[in-house]
Amino acid sequence: MASVAQPAGHAGPATQTVARPATKKNIGFWSWITTVDHKRIGLLYGITAFAYLLIGGIEALVIRSQLIAPNNDLVSLEKYNQFFTMHGTTMIFLAVMPLSSAFFNFIIPLQIGARDVAFPRLNAFSYWVFFFGGLILSLSWLANAAPNQGWYGYAPLTEKGFNIGRNVDFWALGLQVLGIASIAASLNFIITILNMRAPGMTLMRMPLFTWTTLITSILIVMAFPAITIALALLSFDRFAGTSFYIPYIYDEATRQVVARGGDPLLWQHLFWIFGHPEVYILILPAFGIVSEIIPVFSRKPLFGYAVMVYATATIAFLGFGVWVHHMFTTGLGPTPNAVFAASTMLIAVPTGVKILNWTSTMWGGQLNFTTPMLFSTALVSQFVIGGISGVMHGSPPIDSQHNDSYFVVAHFHYVLFGGSIFALLAGTYYWFPKFSGRMLDERLGKWHFWVTFAAFNITFFPMHFLGLEGMPRRYGTYGEGSGLQLWHVVSSVGSYLLGFSFLIFMYNVAVSLQRGKKAGNDPWDGATLEWTIPSPPPVYNFATVPVVRHRDPLWEEKYAKYEGEGHAEEETLETTIAGIKIGEGQVPDEDALEQAERRAAADDEHNIHLPNPSYWPLVTALGVFLAAFGLIFSYPRIPIGALDLPLYTAAGLLVLVAGVYGWSLEPAS
Amino acid sequence: MATAVELERAHGAGHGDDHGHADHPPTSTGLDHRKLLMWAFLASDCMFFGSLIATYMIYRGRAEDLGFAPFPSEILDIPYTSLSAFVLLMSSLTMVLALAAIQKGDHRGLRIWLAATALLGAIFLGGQYFEFTEFYHEGLSLQTNMFGASFFVLTGFHGAHVTIGVIWLLTLLFLSLRGGVKQEDSLDVELAGLYWHFVDIVWIVIFTLVYLIPYDEVTETQTGAFTYLAGILRGVASIF
Ligand code: HEM
Ligand SMILES: [Cu+2]
Repeated sequence: MASVAQPAGHAGPATQTVARPATKKNIGFWSWITTVDHKRIGLLYGITAFAYLLIGGIEALVIRSQLIAPNNDLVSLEKYNQFFTMHGTTMIFLAVMPLSSAFFNFIIPLQIGARDVAFPRLNAFSYWVFFFGGLILSLSWLANAAPNQGWYGYAPLTEKGFNIGRNVDFWALGLQVLGIASIAASLNFIITILNMRAPGMTLMRMPLFTWTTLITSILIVMAFPAITIALALLSFDRFAGTSFYIPYIYDEATRQVVARGGDPLLWQHLFWIFGHPEVYILILPAFGIVSEIIPVFSRKPLFGYAVMVYATATIAFLGFGVWVHHMFTTGLGPTPNAVFAASTMLIAVPTGVKILNWTSTMWGGQLNFTTPMLFSTALVSQFVIGGISGVMHGSPPIDSQHNDSYFVVAHFHYVLFGGSIFALLAGTYYWFPKFSGRMLDERLGKWHFWVTFAAFNITFFPMHFLGLEGMPRRYGTYGEGSGLQLWHVVSSVGSYLLGFSFLIFMYNVAVSLQRGKKAGNDPWDGATLEWTIPSPPPVYNFATVPVVRHRDPLWEEKYAKYEGEGHAEEETLETTIAGIKIGEGQVPDEDALEQAERRAAADDEHNIHLPNPSYWPLVTALGVFLAAFGLIFSYPRIPIGALDLPLYTAAGLLVLVAGVYGWSLEPAS
Repeated sequence: MATAVELERAHGAGHGDDHGHADHPPTSTGLDHRKLLMWAFLASDCMFFGSLIATYMIYRGRAEDLGFAPFPSEILDIPYTSLSAFVLLMSSLTMVLALAAIQKGDHRGLRIWLAATALLGAIFLGGQYFEFTEFYHEGLSLQTNMFGASFFVLTGFHGAHVTIGVIWLLTLLFLSLRGGVKQEDSLDVELAGLYWHFVDIVWIVIFTLVYLIPYDEVTETQTGAFTYLAGILRGVASIF
């Protein structure tokens, strides 16, 4: 076998020039509408989701302003319901999930050495369906019928008998549409990660962010069906007169209460079978991001990589077996409560392992507290606070006190804001150079960090006290002499400061896009493949497909020290970075080299293949949107045979079918 | 200039060995992207059916409990549905033959067996349509009781799957008649086949749970947690 030390297409700044594929019309509005480039789709996700983050933030500020004084009447209580429902729904489905998607889209193909995702048009479709799902939810404000039943939508509050307007329909159909987007995107990422890794990148050489993306995608694909069915049954109740979640109705004619046999608890089961995996869908990408950042700024490889992977998988698996901890107070009885309390406590173990691994990664490292590192370490500490309160209400007797109180509000903000949002901000500072070619300003970044960190704790820590003092969740008011006002005021002031911190961030982005330091390929001395290519990357990402021989391929490339004279394959290569040994290099196996050669041959022959832009994903997504829209505004109607369909739904289905056929038969020559 | 489909495949790679274009780079797993996609989708679809089956298992006894006729035992016609289940099962056989034909380059065989599969699927759907109208005349509707609601939603969801399958098969037949399905495109047929077999298998599960296993008063009238947990676990487990 030939020398293995310098395989043909090694990871590293590609020097080989390749004929650039013809890309006509690759700037301008329509090129973005029809784009199938994962990087552009990633940016679209990021920008849209950030807009929703701001909207959700403004909704939160309204909530906090209402609660700053007892008996306040800034908004009516009905409007207050709409604000907290839309705040939760927006943050979870329209901000945090799609922000994670933005990173999946932009970063994953780069991290695995691929030129795009497995199904570029499906990717565009996912974005557009997400966009329309968000639009449906947002339109509810214009129709003066914003959802008002809480993000968990407990029956029978969602039933026609209690909620006659369109509020719930906007919510149910908006979420259905978003579910389609999430499942489609996740299927795409599962296949991309399994099938498009660069030669030599075995599963256990994948960067941790790639791992958490894979596992999150599997969670989405397996968990979303439960809520899809739950919502479909709800819509049957509302549109078709079934009573899946209705135990009794009042019969006008006989003036009697009649049993129907449905059960609101079924909703809770189905919702939380989705809902608990959902919280991991929100947090695992965040864990992946900090697992990339902490090693780079500790200048040490991730401690316990394999354990990290197994912990992630264990969390995901156990995540399907703990849903009843959201239902401890529904009277399921001592046995289910005990079983689910145990499984809930169990899930804290792999979570604790991760915390340990991050701290051990930093231990003895050369720490460099740049802004991404600050946000990452903040995640570690703040998530611990949220995790501990989580384990506390994992105990049924304690949860009976916490349930529906502000204490729970404190818990999930520590995990969601202190966890997910901190990590997403860390990721933004870390990868912004790759997105844009320029660095975010570090001085502003540090200001941003410290204001956010302080404001976050001022806002949310007092909520623990409020909850223990008896402040219930979802109440838009409290009494004069209740003794609750002090902490409410502190919390509200904190929230204004938190709002301000986002202004610093946006200012930083605006300034840095103009005047930021040029990033170059590898501004952080990174370890993974995305730093081997220019910033921003060319459309085809990699001029030459890299070959991966190490878990930290770029570090191996930069710091490998070959011992001995020749580069014979028996010899181990030892990689040290900043004097610390980061491990023995693995010699590439023959399969990998062969794959690399075949790929190189394919490249030569056809240059680089890139998928053509396409309108069909948008058309198909538009069909989905119209169909859902028609169900919400059920008039005008159109009779088709025995069916009596809402006009927009019928039109939407036609567009959908046309889209699917146009897509699968698309001739582009 | 190459077509978009070709570009996407070439770019996506993994068309691999059965295609005869050895120059396409291999995929990491050696499996084609689209095949892997179909498998992942079917895993997800299991959870859709699992949730609906769980709902059915939880609610099917409620009609009897509350005395709201018609009850499952009165109305379900096992011999009739056995026949339509048999028809659907046979369609899996013809589907296998269709795939085998195109893999051998036998276009006539492909068309015959695709048509046969679609026809058998359509017969099944006709049977379901007849069953639904019959039930409706006997007084069972979505709104009558919990059995009706969960029965129609579950079997209707399955029927929608069969309908999509039939449309897919007819599309392939149409494309084949226009010469659009080549021997090296056998994967197109294989994907439809995977989907079709899955829909068949799910029907076996539904047929067993809904039609064959009688509602057992003793174990199911208890209320509370275990009804749900047992129902949900059984629903999800049954599908694997
Ligand atoms: C150590 C891990 C965790 C444990 C043991 C835990 C435990 C719990 C428990 C028992 C509840 C129910 C409290 C109640 O309503 O009475 C709860 C609620 C909640 N948790 Fe966690 N949790 C953990 C991690 C997370 C993570 C990672 C997230 C999201 C990123 C999260 C988000 C939420 C949310 C949103 C709720 C409120 C749901 C609602 O609206 O009722 N949790 N958690
Ligand atoms: Cu939970």
